[in-house]
Amino acid sequence: MTISNSDRVRQLVDWLSETDIARLELRGPGESICLQREGGRIVVAPDEPALATEDAPSVAATAASVGVFLHRHPLRDAAIAETGTAVRCGQIVGLLQIGALLLPVTSPCDGVVAAMLLEHGATAGYGERLVELHPLPAGA
Amino acid sequence: MNNVQASISVLGTSALLFEAPGEMTLESQQRIWALAREAQSWPEVREAVPGMNNLMLSFARAPRTLGDLEARLQAAWLAARPLPLEGRVVELPVVYGGAGGPHMGDVVAHTGMGIDEIIERHSAPLYPVYALGSHPGYCYLGGMDPRIATPRRKVPVVSIPGGAVSIGGAQTGVSASEGPSGWNTIGSTSMRFFDPAQDPPALLRPGDSIRFRVEKVIR
Amino acid sequence: MIEILSASALATVQDLGRTGALRWGVGTSGAMDPLALAAGNILLGNDEGAAAVEVPVFPFQVRFAQDCAFAVTGADVAARLDDEPLLPWWSTLARAGQVLQLGLPQGGTWRASRAYLCVAGGIDVPPALGSRSTQLRGAFGGHEGRALRQGDSLRVGAASDARCGKGIGLVPPALALPLQLDDLPAIRVLPAAQYTNYTEASRATFWSEPWKITAQSDRYGYRLSGTRLEAVSALEMRSHGIVPGVIQVPPGGQPIVQMRDAQPSGGYPKLGTVIEADLWRLGQAPIGGRVRFVETNWDDAMAALAQTRRWLDEVRRLVELQRSQRGGR
Repeated sequence: MTISNSDRVRQLVDWLSETDIARLELRGPGESICLQREGGRIVVAPDEPALATEDAPSVAATAASVGVFLHRHPLRDAAIAETGTAVRCGQIVGLLQIGALLLPVTSPCDGVVAAMLLEHGATAGYGERLVELHPLPAGA
Repeated sequence: MNNVQASISVLGTSALLFEAPGEMTLESQQRIWALAREAQSWPEVREAVPGMNNLMLSFARAPRTLGDLEARLQAAWLAARPLPLEGRVVELPVVYGGAGGPHMGDVVAHTGMGIDEIIERHSAPLYPVYALGSHPGYCYLGGMDPRIATPRRKVPVVSIPGGAVSIGGAQTGVSASEGPSGWNTIGSTSMRFFDPAQDPPALLRPGDSIRFRVEKVIR
Repeated sequence: MIEILSASALATVQDLGRTGALRWGVGTSGAMDPLALAAGNILLGNDEGAAAVEVPVFPFQVRFAQDCAFAVTGADVAARLDDEPLLPWWSTLARAGQVLQLGLPQGGTWRASRAYLCVAGGIDVPPALGSRSTQLRGAFGGHEGRALRQGDSLRVGAASDARCGKGIGLVPPALALPLQLDDLPAIRVLPAAQYTNYTEASRATFWSEPWKITAQSDRYGYRLSGTRLEAVSALEMRSHGIVPGVIQVPPGGQPIVQMRDAQPSGGYPKLGTVIEADLWRLGQAPIGGRVRFVETNWDDAMAALAQTRRWLDEVRRLVELQRSQRGGR
């Protein structure tokens, strides 16, 4: 049972109302929920990008083979995925160049790009972590 | 035979151009045909394409160095005997003057002859087809009477229709499809010169001859 | 089927050109940037010479009537599939009903002017005289021998392999095989038969000055503007075969470079010929842009041709390796 299941949320709201706790954040794999006291009632707080905080769990897009990691396409000046932007699972966040070939580096989850872990133009080893992402709840 | 060295030059790395020396005669052109037939079998050559007393060899595989091919070409030219291709005579009915011959007046003005004399001199000869080029099915013809020669136009016409019969310098020809032209158009014919569905697709080939028949004169 | 949604002019079906028909007065036609066309085909598992759509004027829109793997090579034109932005020189799978929009050529790191829409299976128009290239003069080949119009539908051939590389791309040859002089595209030229018929000053000018590609340039020829070139004498020449790349100088002194749709013979004096290996560089130089010409010799011109051949071979090797690795089993 997930924490964002509506029955479960109702249970949590009821339980919280009995206490004098002002704010409760719950996180599970890939999802989170925040309940807080407003006026006399417990409400579900709106999603905030701040949920993806520094100490939130992070995942990384990794190199599928040895190659040169690129932040931007060779024909373009702008980065493919700027840090702080939200990306979908499977979306291209960088490129791995092998000679004439360009392979996609894709995000393993819905998330926010946190950091490029390797410089543009640096050589990546097989499996090396390239782009750090903070996951977002499914459907966020 | 004329033993003055022909001129050989490159067209990038795509082709070699061989230009025969001397006067442009039918016999010289027949030697070009012989040379084309010989060169067509060489491994470097994709197509041996005769022009007006010249030959372009388009490369299937450009050679790493040119010396051997050039020497072979010169030798083959010296050895080339006129190839008397026996073709058909195709008669083209021509409507001279009028809307289909918009530049007849310029030929009159340049040559100083009247329309009838121009038409007489233009339609009298049997014109051998020297080569095809310029556009699909177009024939370069030899044998025009030099007295009706009229220089190419300073400003080319953007579009003349297929079938246009024209004079450019000392040459005459018939346009096979609509397109731009710098020649002086004196008449029109309705013959179809090219059909990509046919094999060969061109109506005429080197060795054939054209005769212009006066169908009508519009003054 | 691919449905043409745009009314924009001048898009034509092209392959690598029609050879063997010079004897009938039929020129080669074919892609102005044959490397982009060949590479797009290799990316999709096609024969190099499969037909594609050459797009010189933008924006341009098509709808895919069925699922279709495709790649847009040549200029980076900010392609979008429905609303999804695509990377340039990248293979993508379109679903039936999706619309591909090609926008304007982007600045970026390479200024180019033509894009190639390549599809897995190739554009399936009937070959004419051995080629699917459009022969505009004479109106045959390609799609009905003419430029594409809004409402046209093009058939797509059968793709060679369901595993054709979806979601991979290439580094374009403009970056892999760069050639510039003073920040302008450099185009290598071999002098032609009438080269010495131009004054020494004119010859020096030809090599040392930039040449602007005027708006009167198209697939028939690129009309250049710059310092007037002078001939030593007026030559009356016999009609002879020419090839794309031949540079003629009419009486006005402004050079014209014959391009893919040029007539296959002519009677004008020739200054030089752009080497076959660099025709794509000129073909991609934008209207209004400038180029420099560089004098070369036979050996270097042949080496350049070998270099483009090697680049294509390397592309094929890497794409096939990738495909076989993905296929697993």
